[in-house]
Amino acid sequence: SRLAEGTPRRSIQLSNIVEQRIFKDDDVISTPKRSRAKISHSGEGDEDYTPKKSTQKTPTRSRRASTTTRPAKDSAPLTPSQKLKKIRAGELSPTIEQRLRPVDKSCKSQLQLAREQLHVSIIPKSLPCREKEFDNIYSFLEGKIQDECGGCMYVSGVPGTGKTATVTGVIRTLQHQVAQEKLTQFDFVEINGMRLTEPRQAYVQIYKQLTGKTLSWEHAHTLLEKRFTTPAPRRLTTVLLVDELDILCNRRQDVVYNLLDWPTKSAARLVVITIANTMDLPERLLMGKVTSRLGLTRLTFQPYTHKQLQEIVTARLGGSDAFKGEAVQLVARKVAAVSGDARRALDICRRATEIADMTEQSVATATKCVSILHVQQALAEMIASAKVQAIKNCSRLEQIFLQAVAAEVTRTGVEETTFMGVYTQVETIAAFMGAVVPAPGRALRLCSKLGAERLIICEHSRTDIFQKILLNVSADDIHYALRVEGNN
Amino acid sequence: AKTEAPVPSPTRNKYQNARRVLNSAETQNLPGRESQLQELREFFTTHLDTQTSGSLYVSGQPGTGKTACLSLLLRAPEFAQRLQRVYINCTSIASVGAVFKKLCAELNIKPAGRTERDHQEAIQKHLRTAKRMLLLVLDEIDQLCTSRQEVLYTIFEWPSLAGARILLVGIANSLDLTDRALMRLNARCELKPRLMHFPPYTKQQIVDIFKARLAEADVLDVFPPVTLQLLAAKVSAVSGDVRRALDIGRRVVEIAEQQKRVGEREFNMQALNFEGETKAKEDTLKPVQVTQVAAVLNKVYGASQNLDEDIEGAFPLQQKLMLCSLVLMLRNERNKDISIGRLHEVYRRVCAKRNILALDQAEFAGTVDLVETRGILRIMRKKEPRLSKVVLQWDEEEVHGALSDKQLIASILNDTACLGK
Repeated sequence: SRLAEGTPRRSIQLSNIVEQRIFKDDDVISTPKRSRAKISHSGEGDEDYTPKKSTQKTPTRSRRASTTTRPAKDSAPLTPSQKLKKIRAGELSPTIEQRLRPVDKSCKSQLQLAREQLHVSIIPKSLPCREKEFDNIYSFLEGKIQDECGGCMYVSGVPGTGKTATVTGVIRTLQHQVAQEKLTQFDFVEINGMRLTEPRQAYVQIYKQLTGKTLSWEHAHTLLEKRFTTPAPRRLTTVLLVDELDILCNRRQDVVYNLLDWPTKSAARLVVITIANTMDLPERLLMGKVTSRLGLTRLTFQPYTHKQLQEIVTARLGGSDAFKGEAVQLVARKVAAVSGDARRALDICRRATEIADMTEQSVATATKCVSILHVQQALAEMIASAKVQAIKNCSRLEQIFLQAVAAEVTRTGVEETTFMGVYTQVETIAAFMGAVVPAPGRALRLCSKLGAERLIICEHSRTDIFQKILLNVSADDIHYALRVEGNN
Repeated sequence: AKTEAPVPSPTRNKYQNARRVLNSAETQNLPGRESQLQELREFFTTHLDTQTSGSLYVSGQPGTGKTACLSLLLRAPEFAQRLQRVYINCTSIASVGAVFKKLCAELNIKPAGRTERDHQEAIQKHLRTAKRMLLLVLDEIDQLCTSRQEVLYTIFEWPSLAGARILLVGIANSLDLTDRALMRLNARCELKPRLMHFPPYTKQQIVDIFKARLAEADVLDVFPPVTLQLLAAKVSAVSGDVRRALDIGRRVVEIAEQQKRVGEREFNMQALNFEGETKAKEDTLKPVQVTQVAAVLNKVYGASQNLDEDIEGAFPLQQKLMLCSLVLMLRNERNKDISIGRLHEVYRRVCAKRNILALDQAEFAGTVDLVETRGILRIMRKKEPRLSKVVLQWDEEEVHGALSDKQLIASILNDTACLGK
């Protein structure tokens, strides 16, 4: 994990399920409705398979219990191993239970409609403010498909700047072109480094998307190698989208090397588009020979400016007047000043609609509107610090303890203090305030409680009076929290 | 492989042909590598004539044509009769020990058992009794390095096996792999691999490569000689990597094509406006200009300088303030060991002076992360985010360039009162 130092930490989902994306050319991708709650007839679910890790040979007992089977039509019931075989061969497609009936669309209020439109998962047909990048990727891919040769491209940018949405949008447009027979056909394969338990599982996923079969990674790798190195007439160009490239880099970097080495084979006709956050990832993390293969065709997505964010939100809202203009502007300006992340702007807008919904219960549903006050409240919830509040809500002795740590830091001038020094300060402050001085044992308990709340950073309490204590909040925060309270 | 490609359709213009012919895939003829090819041929033929084993280690920077030369020779008909040829890329094996299994599969021999040892013994038996001489090419051989190097030593000791006739070629990047990792081979003169270095391409060689490539599709007039000279001079000065050179060449053509397309669109618009002069524009392609090549080179090699043009408004304010605070601290404090906590304190004072609502610590750590993805900073992770160290990776001048907000920087840098204490 030291390798991927450049990118913000994210929790890795330990499942290597890659969703098959099917683009219909004239509809937006709607939010997946996942209902966990089982409806009355949960006893017999229909073909309720959860996709499994391909490496597992036999299903464990708990796994077997969790999936309910129903025999395929007009055939004997499947044993678990038969079922697994069918899943690996790609003959059964994973399904999840259906809802009985979705909610009627017409009875939704304007705010609800706006909230739905503002959901992050709804990708608009054309992304506003990313026309230049779209053109860039489009001409690259179109050229490669027309030339029938391979190549690589590296796309980078901070999270939430529309990288993956733009690339998949380009692919969708190209598939549309293919459907109209303006372009030769091509295969599209998509893998995401985060969805793989291990870098080498990439081979399994690529092979699965090309043929539908699940094999072990060694086998899949051999077959892919054969496919890409031996020339075959009438081979289609394959476009491979690799998201989260930095996760695929292990120490040997053999997976990244292979993914980028295949395009250099003239038989492969493979076009690889790699996406990552870090701008200088090839120089920082990859070996020289891998960087050389990655090439110089690069594209950086800059963070959105406040004008662009405003445009994005208004485009989502369509013609609806659920939002006041200045409310959108405030969101855009606040988000653009910090990160320029479109997801965040959309989240704040959604939160603002929820707040507006809650606070204005009395107003008739049709006239509800998100004003600047609602947005401010949402911003305060999502951006504001909880630390001052936490200090205010501490017990009296804990507050004294925090003050003592701050006082000891000012006294000694170094950030790191020992419990002994802090305890002396606690005694002084308590005496000054007329409070009862806690015994050192109890003070240690206060200390470990504050440490668990992460208001301070402390060692394990077995080193008792010699343990080192660091403030995890700024000293100003403590003074601010306690002074304002004192005035009240 | 170019000859097998389908005939270009009549609608393709010269730019597109040039783009196709400049691809960085394998080719048949290798201008600029004649002497190396000759040396390799001599090595093979002398060992074939005397029927003795030998080993060779080929090194060179990425993109200097090592694999291209060897795969050309692997396909050469003159060795087809007399040699059994095996090519293994060491990145495509499952583990270091699995190379024997792969070799067994390539040689079509059946080992007695399933362990690594069985495979190894089967290969050694095959080497002793083989009818034909074996040419084994191991590409990216540095992937086989382990702490004890037993696999590499085993392989490089095959030439000294009694009765074995094997020609072993290892390919890697580093010049001194055999001195570093295979020191013990130096103890015995017959085992010492012969070294061969592929130097980076010179300017003239890159020009020759481009000329040969462009002549292949008869589009030599797309690149005027002066642009080729400029491109080759720049690439050979920096890396001498031909993949880079071809990449830049392709990029130049792509940009020229885009510009042409935009130009045509404008022309069409003009033609619509002045309907009187609907003189059809001839499809006379302009050769690429020196300015276009220079622009691409700047974009590729001027990593941070060119940032400021597209950064303009897109550098978020809080990130600017964070960077300015960092520069302020680095300038005025002797202690260069800056933790996120300390940086945050200064940043808050800077914000307070400018009447800007400061971010809290959690958000601030995220902001530092985002700046790190630009490559301006590095964060040395610690157990607590507050204790993580921030190290500036750029020059102060570069930071100034990137922020492109001189007034803000100047005002913050003069504000030493914010440092506190």
